[in-house]
Amino acid sequence: MKRTHENNYAIYLMADDLIHIIYKKVPYIDLKAAQVIVKDRMQLQEGREMPVLCDIREVRNINKAARDYFALEGSLWVQKLAFLIDPPVTDMISSIYLDTHAQKVPTRSFTKKKEALAYLGIDETGDD
Amino acid sequence: MPNSDDFRVGRIQKMLLEMAKGNFFYSLEPSDKNDNIASLVVLLNMVSEEIRAAFIHQGFTNAHNTPQCIIQLSLLMDSKGIIEMVTSGSCSLLSILPKEIIGKNITDLMTKASQEVWSKKMVKHLKKDRSELVLFLEFITNDGFLLAKDCQISVYQALDGSGQKILLNSVFFSKGEPFETGLPKKKLKVTKGIKEHKVTLTPEDIQIIRDVHDMIINNLERDLPKLNDLARQMGTNEYKLKYGFKQLYGTTIFRFLIKERLRKARTLIQHSTLTIKQVIQMTGFKSKTHFSRAFKDKYGMPPTDLRP
Repeated sequence: MKRTHENNYAIYLMADDLIHIIYKKVPYIDLKAAQVIVKDRMQLQEGREMPVLCDIREVRNINKAARDYFALEGSLWVQKLAFLIDPPVTDMISSIYLDTHAQKVPTRSFTKKKEALAYLGIDETGDD
Repeated sequence: MPNSDDFRVGRIQKMLLEMAKGNFFYSLEPSDKNDNIASLVVLLNMVSEEIRAAFIHQGFTNAHNTPQCIIQLSLLMDSKGIIEMVTSGSCSLLSILPKEIIGKNITDLMTKASQEVWSKKMVKHLKKDRSELVLFLEFITNDGFLLAKDCQISVYQALDGSGQKILLNSVFFSKGEPFETGLPKKKLKVTKGIKEHKVTLTPEDIQIIRDVHDMIINNLERDLPKLNDLARQMGTNEYKLKYGFKQLYGTTIFRFLIKERLRKARTLIQHSTLTIKQVIQMTGFKSKTHFSRAFKDKYGMPPTDLRP
């Protein structure tokens, strides 16, 4: 089963065993945006805990309220999380986020999608 | 050249100097670029936010000896947004002279994104005689810093018949003079406490208490062990754990646990199709009555009201 979904902030590609979230290029992500992003993900998942691939390469600005929301409310039903980053900016964003928030969900950052997918336990290639 | 590396490094230096002075409310405008300087700007903005939050939080845990004061941004405008009056605090925040700002349009001080928000929202609100709203606005100071804040905006009618006016206010926390001794200290405290318990915490103690904090967040559905068992398990004693936690987080362990459980429950009720009963089980509440009462106390509505 494959489904897609889109809101103002992100595109969601959903497969049986993975949610792939691609953040769009927006001026900033604030608490309201974070709430929409999490709400839509949870509605797509319908209660199933899944690994999540988060492509944050276009993100340039995310405030503390949003980061806090992602770390607590935003970790529900996330089994494992991989950030797809593009150094140096998104590398910095993911490092600060991981260093300042206690992670319930195992999380790592990758520059290559293939490695991120391997970390999440998925080894199909060329699939988006 | 606003995009040259020298210019951008200059901005970073200025921002660091402001932080050294204890001003954590500025930020730098992030760029679209993906280079080392851009990553430093992002880092600086995020660090400043974290410090700011810790700073205000400190105020809650230890209000009697934390220096804090409030700098207020306050502007009076006519219905077109032309500035008629500013407080001197606003001028120093924006690092601009009163004569430079009076007569200017408020939108001249904003970022593009905020200009759009402003014109979109104000059209609607200026149609009414009076209205109030809170807008998140970004101002650009004369030094090129970004001042981003929720602003309270009131539209009202002037008494002298000169038409509609707009009042814009916002507060900023800053490091400043301590409160005067005459102020009623006890009333400033957010948490209750009959007796002051002071514990001296070593860096190791603080780390242990942080670990307890994280452990609670990550195990909301489980019962909290007895405090003395928990303390022993973590390598500290009950007294340190109990009062140290309160000192660090401004609340008791038990209240904190309930607060976080309610937060999780709220998210689940809002965004999932789980039954309330399932949510109660998943968040560690023992009875529906207790859950419903605590929920209503915190959010002002029964949990079922969140269901569409």
